[in-house]
Amino acid sequence: MPQASVFIVEDELIEAQDISQTLIDQGYSVAGIARTGELALEALIKKHPNLVLMDMHLAGTMDGVDTAERIRALYKIPVIFLTAYSDETLLERAKITEPYGYVLKPFDERELHSAIEMALYKHRTEEQAQENERTIRILANAIPDAIMLLDHNMRIIALNDAMARRFGYNTNVFYDLSIPFDQKGLFASLQSPIKEILLSGRPVRFEEKNGDEWFEISLIRITGTEGQSPMIFIQYHDITDHKRFEEQLKAGGITQIEHNMEQFQILNDQIRNPLQAIMGYVDLNCVHYRERIIDQIGVIDTLVDRLDHGWVESEKVRRVLLRHYHYDPDDVPDTEPGAGQGKLT
Amino acid sequence: MDTILLVDDDPAILEIFTVCLEMDGYKVLVAADGSACLNLLNTHNPDLIFLDLMMEPMDGWEILIAIRKNASSRYIPVVILTGKPPVPEDILQYGGLIEEYIVKPVSFPVFIESVHRNIEHDRNLRREIKQMKDNVQDPALLAEYTHLLRFVRVAYKLKKRLMDPQWTDRIPIKNQEERLQWVHKKIGFPYPLPGQDEEK
Repeated sequence: MPQASVFIVEDELIEAQDISQTLIDQGYSVAGIARTGELALEALIKKHPNLVLMDMHLAGTMDGVDTAERIRALYKIPVIFLTAYSDETLLERAKITEPYGYVLKPFDERELHSAIEMALYKHRTEEQAQENERTIRILANAIPDAIMLLDHNMRIIALNDAMARRFGYNTNVFYDLSIPFDQKGLFASLQSPIKEILLSGRPVRFEEKNGDEWFEISLIRITGTEGQSPMIFIQYHDITDHKRFEEQLKAGGITQIEHNMEQFQILNDQIRNPLQAIMGYVDLNCVHYRERIIDQIGVIDTLVDRLDHGWVESEKVRRVLLRHYHYDPDDVPDTEPGAGQGKLT
Repeated sequence: MDTILLVDDDPAILEIFTVCLEMDGYKVLVAADGSACLNLLNTHNPDLIFLDLMMEPMDGWEILIAIRKNASSRYIPVVILTGKPPVPEDILQYGGLIEEYIVKPVSFPVFIESVHRNIEHDRNLRREIKQMKDNVQDPALLAEYTHLLRFVRVAYKLKKRLMDPQWTDRIPIKNQEERLQWVHKKIGFPYPLPGQDEEK
């Protein structure tokens, strides 16, 4: 592991050099020394130490606590306070800056060392946790579905941006236990499924229409590790397009079938007319009706062509229906957006 | 010489049946649509009408209703001659207004037999009704009798076809048949009502 670099903020020069030497002896590098808070903030623009040792009392307009607050906000570098005595009000203020440690002056070398190591370790752990959160968050927001995790007391443990928008928040409320989960309004339909799933543990899935939108809502109970209470994972999957396609298919398919039925009726009637004519000519038993018979056979042929056409149109509807309901028609489907996905094979 | 009116929008059909009927000695009138048919009936009084169903703009059933509403043509017997076989709904609604329905194609002998039979049926029925008229106080009962008689006959014909296992439709006849028996008795005909199954 490369040696950690430490930046010292101390208004007493001798003290600062003493600390500096101790740090070097302990194997750290010294990124720099500043006498005031202002100078320290200026220097930190260029230098990126792993840690800042901060004297609480500083000459100049900013004291150590003010400076630490700025460093925390700007650079997220861990800060350890050095203090000669315990000033209660100062310590109270220092707490707010979430310091990584305190070292009392005159400092003990071993104490300084362990304080620095503790702070570095703590900072690394925190960064790791933040990194983990970022990763989970990216994953959670990568899917368009609105998702959230509830504890068994109906408090929100986490939710993604899509779910946050359903609650009316903009974004950035990924972890926020303060949001009360009110099973009213948009979420009224969750009330009984939540009760059900807490009792049975069996996943619940149902569809819901909201205005023009359709959602498939899934609830899954997640059993915690030993001693942990169960959590509930809730997912809103937008199935509006799917539903719309289904409705179009139904409407289009039924229209086509009704059209075909009407055609069949007309054709049945029309085909029987030339058959009747032919039968009549035959009954008249007269050779000079031959031309008429051939004419009537031509009429029948045209009508049968229309039957063929009706068959082709029906076959199209049949294929779309089969494909939509996930059967495998015996041909390679011509690609059509929205159709044919998720075949059961 | 009896007169037959043919109503059909297909000229080949009109021609072929005209030849057939004329060979058998009938006088033939033809109409290609509903309005031509109704116009003819204002000036002529045919003994039987053959009516196609699938026609524009009035279809056969609409023409039938118009014929029955017109005082001068109200009692002329009508036979449906169609390429589209009627369904139970059609018969339940219009069966009492027609003598028979015939599905094309039909051979000349069968067609001519139907002309003879239906003209004869109609004449016999008119004669009998005339004889019974004095027996009956309520003239509506006689109208109901002819209506039921036609309906039951036509419905039986459809029922026979529906016996074929490929058809899942059924036509309810029982109530009307029982009512017909009752009316027959009530009017006081001297003979029992012939059963439908014995009829050809």
